[in-house]
Amino acid sequence: MSIAPKPTSALLIVGHGSTENPDSSTPYFDHADEIRSRGLFAEVHCCFWKEEPSMREAIYMIDSDEIYVVPDFISEGYFTQDVIPRELQLTGPTTVVRGKTFHYCLPVGVHRSMTDLILRRAKEVAAGIDPASTTLIITGHGTGLNQNSTKAIRDQADLIAASGAGYAAVLDAYMEEPPFIAEWDKMSDTPNVVVVPFFISDGLHSYQDIPVLLGMEDEVGAAASQREVFRHNPHHLRGKTLYYTSAIGTERLLADVILDQISDFDKIHKSL
Amino acid sequence: MSLATQLRDLLRSGVHRIGELELQTDVYGFPYVICHMADAELSTEPAFGGLEIHEGPDDARDLSTYAEDGTYRFTKGQTNLKRGWVMVLESEGDLMLALDQFYPACVGLFVARQGGTLEIETLRDKLNRQTGMYRFARSISDPGAQKLVQEICGPAHQCAKKILWRLDADTPLDDSEASRFNGIPGDLSESEAIPLLCREACNHFVAECRKAAKAEFEAKAAAAEIKPSA
Repeated sequence: MSIAPKPTSALLIVGHGSTENPDSSTPYFDHADEIRSRGLFAEVHCCFWKEEPSMREAIYMIDSDEIYVVPDFISEGYFTQDVIPRELQLTGPTTVVRGKTFHYCLPVGVHRSMTDLILRRAKEVAAGIDPASTTLIITGHGTGLNQNSTKAIRDQADLIAASGAGYAAVLDAYMEEPPFIAEWDKMSDTPNVVVVPFFISDGLHSYQDIPVLLGMEDEVGAAASQREVFRHNPHHLRGKTLYYTSAIGTERLLADVILDQISDFDKIHKSL
Repeated sequence: MSLATQLRDLLRSGVHRIGELELQTDVYGFPYVICHMADAELSTEPAFGGLEIHEGPDDARDLSTYAEDGTYRFTKGQTNLKRGWVMVLESEGDLMLALDQFYPACVGLFVARQGGTLEIETLRDKLNRQTGMYRFARSISDPGAQKLVQEICGPAHQCAKKILWRLDADTPLDDSEASRFNGIPGDLSESEAIPLLCREACNHFVAECRKAAKAEFEAKAAAAEIKPSA
């Protein structure tokens, strides 16, 4: 989907960030760089919950009077529905705060174009492997506290299953709630299994915790940037051939999904 | 007037320092050159004195993420910025992009403060908005928070920001080196630098509040356990 240039508007990408993991915010800055390089907006900035600039500092960085806010989060939930609106003082899809007009878009993870990104990742990591002999598992954190955090993943699994991509099965699995990703081999009837972590960054979960749950590693390792970035696919484990990709958010083309969310926002809210 | 234009005017008026960054104009044909303040002299020598040259703002994030010893600079005000490099920039816009990586929002915060529009948040407001495991940070006592400021903030503890916040609307910070610091590292007059401003407690401070609050809670619980048998 293409987006018309907005030379008088700013884009504000909101991420979680981390005071402990330097890799956590890398994808957000990559997405911002990618969009900035296309010259679509007067300015492109990032802000965070756990890094600088904070969401409340962000307004001081922005010259433009119109600001599109896109949460670079994988699902709708506590952060996108409570924390971000509160921090940015947003009360609806469009809010005027201190003379600036903020448009609050949906998070990237719930956009239908995520489906293509997941398929692209899966095909890249298992190039030449027949989908008919492959189970594709999309994995996320999962928490009993918020059903929305698993809904985005379940939706993607359903969309890919219905897409004609040809996988023998497309499943969702989680770190902390059933179906558990640790049981990837039991839930897969095929010799090949591709696991795509549905996270924005290669942080603690996708690069450190899930590899242990998959059985690829015995203990939690260092952060992604502090060791080899690409793992040695495939992994021959538990009688199967396992392909493990980096987090879906590290895909540079996620920048397109950010733009898609803005385009959708305009269609829904600006055409009224 | 855009922030970039206001920055240009500030540089023309004699400002040449933000945090640990030295900002120079018109060096060997480059409109803007930035480097670590300790490399300022070297950067004016031919071929930038052998400093590693970075063209454009793209490497600003990498340069500001890790200290010389490889540790993660988890707050941007830390006074452990890496040395040995120089960044050449073609425009005020590129300079702003670079500065917002080294010291996020530093120019905007300064300009807002000068214009009287900077909103400052008290520590209590910041702590009361924390989520998840950081929610516990809000139970820290006032004396505990005052002590933390003196143990964590200010140049003695590697932070170059000027603290603007209070504990709450009625409780200023106790007088200390940290609370008095003007946000300008090095011996420089205020007319030559844009100070780094701390308009809300950083996430590192919040994390330390949580630890201190837990310690206070455990100490109280231990004292309560001892009392009945005393």
